Amino acid sequence: MTDDTPPDRSDRAEQSAESDPGNHDAAATEEVPAHWHHARRMTDGGQPAKEGDVLIGEESDEEAVLDRGPFERWASKAIKNPERAYKSMFYTATIFFLLTTLFPFYWLLMVALTPEGRQQDIILTPNGFNPGAFIEVFEVLPFHWYMFNSFVIATASTVIVLVIGSLAGYAFGRLDFRGKLPMMLLVLVISFFPPAAFFIPLNDLFNTSVFLLEPITGDGTLYNTPGAMVLPLSAIFMPLAIFILTTFYAQIPEGLEDAARVEGTTRLGALFRVIIPLSAPGVATAGVLTFIAVYNEFFFSFLMTDGQPENWAPLLEGILGYQGQYEVLYHLMAASSIIGVIPVAILVVVAQEKIVSGLTAGGLKE
Amino acid sequence: MATDTDPEGGGIFGGEGETDRDRTGNAVVNWMENLSEAAYAYLLLLPATALLALIAFYPLVMTFIMSLQEDRTRGLEPLGGFVGIENYVNILTGNARLARQFMDVTMSTSFPFIEFGVPILQQALFVTLGFAVISVFFETIIGFGQAYVLDQDFRGRRWVRVAIILPWAVPIVIQGMVFFLLFQPEVGFGSDFMQWLGVFGADPLADSQDSFIIVLVADIWKSAAFMALLILAGLQSVDRSLYDVARVAGASPLQRFKMITLPLVLPALLVAMLFRTMDAMRVYGLIESTAGCTTVPSLTCLVVEAMFGGTRIYATAAAVAFMTALVIGLIISVYVFFFRDTEGGLS
Repeated sequence: MTDDTPPDRSDRAEQSAESDPGNHDAAATEEVPAHWHHARRMTDGGQPAKEGDVLIGEESDEEAVLDRGPFERWASKAIKNPERAYKSMFYTATIFFLLTTLFPFYWLLMVALTPEGRQQDIILTPNGFNPGAFIEVFEVLPFHWYMFNSFVIATASTVIVLVIGSLAGYAFGRLDFRGKLPMMLLVLVISFFPPAAFFIPLNDLFNTSVFLLEPITGDGTLYNTPGAMVLPLSAIFMPLAIFILTTFYAQIPEGLEDAARVEGTTRLGALFRVIIPLSAPGVATAGVLTFIAVYNEFFFSFLMTDGQPENWAPLLEGILGYQGQYEVLYHLMAASSIIGVIPVAILVVVAQEKIVSGLTAGGLKE
Repeated sequence: MATDTDPEGGGIFGGEGETDRDRTGNAVVNWMENLSEAAYAYLLLLPATALLALIAFYPLVMTFIMSLQEDRTRGLEPLGGFVGIENYVNILTGNARLARQFMDVTMSTSFPFIEFGVPILQQALFVTLGFAVISVFFETIIGFGQAYVLDQDFRGRRWVRVAIILPWAVPIVIQGMVFFLLFQPEVGFGSDFMQWLGVFGADPLADSQDSFIIVLVADIWKSAAFMALLILAGLQSVDRSLYDVARVAGASPLQRFKMITLPLVLPALLVAMLFRTMDAMRVYGLIESTAGCTTVPSLTCLVVEAMFGGTRIYATAAAVAFMTALVIGLIISVYVFFFRDTEGGLS
C-alpha cells in the first residue's frame, strides 16, 4: 500500500493546486490534510465492517479516478484497500442467500400462475398466465375455512401460553421457593420428547367421552374440536415461552414492583400492571414465536382431526386436499401454499426486529 | 409489605377508596394476599403444572406402560398382558412387526463385522440420525453465514433480514409442498437437473437415497434461517468495542472471528444446535408431505405407521415412541457432557 502513496498524494496536491492557482502557500498547506487523510486510511486499512461502513460507493476518501476499465479499477482499489474485497464478498454472500431463500417462493408463484395441465418445465417464467388460480383455490375447497381454523387455533394457543406462561414465568423469575430448579428442569424435559410419545394416550383421551363436554361438543369427545389441537400444542410450546418470559420478568427491578405494592396494588395486579407491561418486548417475542410455531405445526394438526373443515381441520389439510385421488391440482397446491404463507410473512415483516432483539435480551443471553 | 392489613382497614387509613385492595376486597384476593411467597409461587405454577401434567406427563407415563404390554391384533382389546421389555428387544433386533425396521443390524464374521438386514436407508434409526447430523451440520454453517450478513449495517437490511428469516416462518406442509413440486418429475425441474448431474435416478421421490437428499435440502432451506435467527441474537449481544480493541492490536478479520466472535457466540450457537438436533430427530411432517414415510422412514414415521397402518400394533408403536425419546435424550446428554464447560452454555 505504501508504494501507492506518492502518485496519489501528488494527484491530490495537483488538484488542490489547480483549485487555487493563485496561492502556492495555500496549496502547500492543502497538501498536508490530503497526506494526513491518506495516512489515516492506511492505519485502518485492514478493518472491515465498522457500523455504517459497508455501504458500497459511500466511501468519501476515494482518490481521483484514473482512466481505467471498470474491472481494472475495481481490482486495483481492492488491492489498495482490502475493505473493498471484504465488501464485495459480503455482497456476493448476501445475494447468494437472498437467491436461495427467495427462489422457491418465486418458483411457486410461477407454478401457481401456469394454467392447469401445462406444468412442465417451469423454471423462470410461467407457461401461460392464469391468476385465476388464486380464486379457484377457494372454489375447489373452502380454503378460507381451513385458514380461519388455523388462525383460531394459533391465536387461542398463543393466548393460553402467554397467560399461563406469564404466571409460571413470574413465579420462576421473581419468587423464591423450594423445588424451583427441579421444576424448571421438569418443564424443559417436555421439549425433549417427540410428539409421537404423547400422541397415543392423547388420542385415546380425546376420543373418550366426557360427560361435562357433551353440551359443547355433542358426543362429549374433544376429537374434531379445536381443543384437540389447542391443548397439546399449548403444552408443547409452553416450555419455550416460560423460559423467555422468566428471563424477561427477572430483569424488572425489584423497586418498581415494591412501589406498586405500596401504592396498594394486589399481587396479581402488580404482575399484570407493572411486570408484564414493562416486559412488553419479551411478551411479544414469546407470543410471535408461539403463534408461528402453532400455525406451522404438522404432527397434531395432521392427526387430531378427520380433515373436514367443519371439524376444525387446519390449513395443512386444505393444502394437502388438492392432491385428490384421481387428479392432482399442482397449480392449486402452489397457489394455496402462497396464500398460506402470507399471514406468517406479514408477522415476520412486522416483528422481525422484535424477534431478534427479544431473543437477544432474553432467552439466549444467560 | 402490608399484606397483613385488614381489608376493612383501608377505610380507616385516610379513606383511600382508590386501591385495588379495597375495590376487590373479596375473599379470594385476601386469601391470595396472605399467602407466603412459596405458597403464592406454587399457586401461580398451578395452571401450567395442571396443563403439562394432563397433556404431557400423563401421556408419557401411559405410553411407557403401553410399551410394556403385548400387541393383540385380534379381538376387541388392542393390548394384551404385560411382557416386560420384549417389545424393545424385538425393535432393537429387527424382529418387530413393523413395515420398516427401527434397526436391523447383525454381527458378522467378515469385515466390517456388521451386517445390515435391510438397506441402511430403510432403517429408521440410521435414517433419522443421518438426517439429524447432516442437516444440523449444514444448517450451522449456512446459518452462521446468514447471521454474519444480517449482523452488518447496510441499507435495506430490514428487508434482507425479512427475506432470509422468511423460510423459518413457513409452515412445514408448505415447505414440503415446495420441494415436492420442485422434484416432482411432472412439474419441477429439480429432478431433471439432478439427473443431468448424474446424482438422481429415474424416479427420485420413490428412491430412498434421492428422497433422503430432497428431504435434507428442504430442511436445510427452512432451518438454516432458524439457526441464523438464534446466532444473530448471539452476535448482537457481542460488545462492539471488543472489535475496536482487536483492530488497534492489529488482528486480521479471521483472527477477530476466531478470538472474539466465535467464543462469544458459542453459547448461543450450541443452544441453537441443540434445539435443531432435537427437532431434526423428530422429523415427520416434511417427509410425509414430500417423499412419504415408506421411502424415507424416520423414527416418528414408524410410530405413526404402526398406529394408523391398520395393523393395530399399538404396544410396538408406544415402544418405538419411547425409544425415540431415549435416543433424543442420549443426544442431549452428549451435548451437555461435551459442552458443560462452555461458559454460560446449556443452562
